[in-house]
Amino acid sequence: MGFGKYLVIRLLNALIVLAIVTLVMSSLFVKVAEKDLENTIVQQVNAEFQALQQKGQTPEDPDAWRAQRIAHYRAQYHLDKPYWWRVQYYFKNTLTFNFGKTKTPVFGSEKDVMAILKMAIPRTIQLFTTAQIIIITLGILLGVKAAQMVGSAFDRALSVIALVMSSIPMWWLGMIMLLVFSFKLGWFPSRAIPDPNLTGWAHIVDILRRMTLPVATIVIVSAGAWAWVIRNIMIGTMQEDFIMAARAKGVPERKVIYGHALRAAAPPVVTMIIMSLLASLGGAIITESVFTWPGMGRVYWIAIETNETNLIMGLTFVNVLLYLMGVIIADLAYGFLDPRVKVGASENM
Amino acid sequence: MRWVDFKESLSEFWSDFRRQKSGLLGLLLLFLFIFTAVAAPVITSPDIPEKWQGFWLDNPKNVPPTWVNAFSSEAKASHLAIEGEALQKLLTKTDSGYLVEVEYNNEYDVPPQDVVIKDLTGDAAGGKPSITVIVERPDGKKITLIEGYKFSGSLVLQLGTHPEVRANLIEWIKSEGIYIDPLQEFQYRTLMDATKVIFGQLNENILKNPEPLKGTYKFTILVNVPEGSSVSFDNTKVIFTGRTYGWLGTDFKGRDLLAGIIWGSRVSLVIGIAVAVASVLIGIFYGVTSAYLGGWSDELMMRFQEFMASIPSLPILILMGAYFGGHIKLWQIVVLLAIFGWVGIARVARSMALQIKEQTYVEAARVLGAGTGRIIFKHMVPQLLPYAFAQMALSVPSAVLSEASLSYLGLGDPTAVTWGQILHDAQVAGAAVNGYWWWVIPPGLSIALVGLTFVLIGTALDRVLNPRLRRL
Repeated sequence: MGFGKYLVIRLLNALIVLAIVTLVMSSLFVKVAEKDLENTIVQQVNAEFQALQQKGQTPEDPDAWRAQRIAHYRAQYHLDKPYWWRVQYYFKNTLTFNFGKTKTPVFGSEKDVMAILKMAIPRTIQLFTTAQIIIITLGILLGVKAAQMVGSAFDRALSVIALVMSSIPMWWLGMIMLLVFSFKLGWFPSRAIPDPNLTGWAHIVDILRRMTLPVATIVIVSAGAWAWVIRNIMIGTMQEDFIMAARAKGVPERKVIYGHALRAAAPPVVTMIIMSLLASLGGAIITESVFTWPGMGRVYWIAIETNETNLIMGLTFVNVLLYLMGVIIADLAYGFLDPRVKVGASENM
Repeated sequence: MRWVDFKESLSEFWSDFRRQKSGLLGLLLLFLFIFTAVAAPVITSPDIPEKWQGFWLDNPKNVPPTWVNAFSSEAKASHLAIEGEALQKLLTKTDSGYLVEVEYNNEYDVPPQDVVIKDLTGDAAGGKPSITVIVERPDGKKITLIEGYKFSGSLVLQLGTHPEVRANLIEWIKSEGIYIDPLQEFQYRTLMDATKVIFGQLNENILKNPEPLKGTYKFTILVNVPEGSSVSFDNTKVIFTGRTYGWLGTDFKGRDLLAGIIWGSRVSLVIGIAVAVASVLIGIFYGVTSAYLGGWSDELMMRFQEFMASIPSLPILILMGAYFGGHIKLWQIVVLLAIFGWVGIARVARSMALQIKEQTYVEAARVLGAGTGRIIFKHMVPQLLPYAFAQMALSVPSAVLSEASLSYLGLGDPTAVTWGQILHDAQVAGAAVNGYWWWVIPPGLSIALVGLTFVLIGTALDRVLNPRLRRL
């Protein structure tokens, strides 16, 4: 099977998943939004009524007028349509990134959900990628080191740290970091929103200072477990015959490890990288809200605290989309690095 | 399996497990947690969950635990409430009413925040009853803090902020011959920290910068009851509102955080174990069934498994939280987490079951006419149980973390006391940036400890039950 066909199959798979998830989300969302919209309508009609009263144009029959206005708004918000019609309507809107508006502005004066997301996503990616690059480098260095000296004090310490760290909530460590480095020692600012008065070099330094604590939090929690995984993969690879052959040839140890062993271990490592990226995205998002970093996590926090259903829907969809993209990339990378796993090929072996 | 066999394999397992030091440590921690969870109503009090959502008015707000005094150069007053039996002992009846004599030993550098007489109920049928509070200080001075204060219904008298008390204190200081700047007198009348003056050394700094006067203070509370009226001391409390409280301090609602931590262990353990058991069982049955059926059903079931695996759980859980009106009940959390929890296990269980399926005894069972259900449940699933047990223990931490994360985001069950919710409140109140470490550290540490407990047990089980992994 060619790589092109493999790619098409994976893409189709992801699209089907996306469609089904979005459909389920829409059918849930319609129910939530209905309650929400009904409240909004009552408020709007009340406001109109008061406005008319102030102008001295009170309608003759207030009840009939109210019923008529409510019916008008219900039609405007499509509440008069049957449930399934609204589900497919939201389904289409969601797939075309048409999430509607929030009730109260987020990030200053922005009310359009898509615009809010466009602001938030790059900030999340900025924080997250920085952290992941550090984690991957650190993980590979530590993991390889531990694999070289299995059973040593360093190796055991790494295992213990990986165990302990995997049971710590990342966002809680964030709170502790704030407590220690921001409140107690005062080394870093407690809020992540940059100072708008700074420009140029000072601005960059300011952003870096504000990024330090969140990045450090993500790195501390994830790096240990990640190094441990690398160690386990590397131990397996180091026992292969070609490593012995390379050593026997007189290849320097550094080259054996980084040139031969790590390259052979690449397919699982790359998949693990992408998968752990995806897995830690959720935790990192919650961690953001601790530091009031104005990314997706912050938006999630605001959306839940202020009950913005449109915003929650948009965030969820974007998250699922990012996740699926990650899964596809992981699949493709694996297929590219290890041709055996392309669909079907492994089953015939 | 016969009972004898079971006992034998159990003792064999135990002799293996006993050699796993980390596993034993995990087991010890687990017993501790189970003990705390079960004994929560006895250790604290059974009405904590009902009380938890409201304000705890008697307690000081945002104060650290009492033991910080051991590490600090200045001792802060701890919380003291005198009520019930203890108060009745101090109560004596006089001709015109009642007399309560409370002795308070002030051994602190920072005195209590407030002295409160709370829930003294009076009935004003024959005229309002009145209260007088006199304090006798260790230096022999006697101050009348409040005199003839009339009340009816339920009285809450906060001596620390009462304007009459402040006025009386200023009069007393003047009568002792200490000069008060008239320009600042008004300020003292409205803003003075009265308890610091009551418990302060009498010198020229008493208003500006009071120094603590240590020793035994005697508070005399005189209640004058007119003929025909009555007062009741049944629910009355005399509270010396502390600047420290208990073992873990209090939060912004004055709640005792130790009680919260103890009760939170219930939710964490129940959710963690329920989710782990449910998702592992579902995963094993799903995987085994898929492997045993083979062909189209296998293909279909694995497609569905892949579908579930490619859904990110957290955003969906958050959406579900919004769907359930912003709060997910505990059993709903269990169901939702189990729905996303079985996926990875099913995959592994299937690949293990594919090997078991080819073994002759399964074939023999089929030839004997055993049905699909019997083969799966009786012959294949038991083979996977060792793997299942290890996986159950290893799935608990992520379930506990997920529940805590949802509660932290404010989507948890509002009627339950959970660690995640304590941390949510802490985040809303800015506990980390305000330095309320006693509010932030213990809940997270408990979450981590529960996680660690099960990781330790799980890895030890894995090593004992799946000997192939022992060399790692």
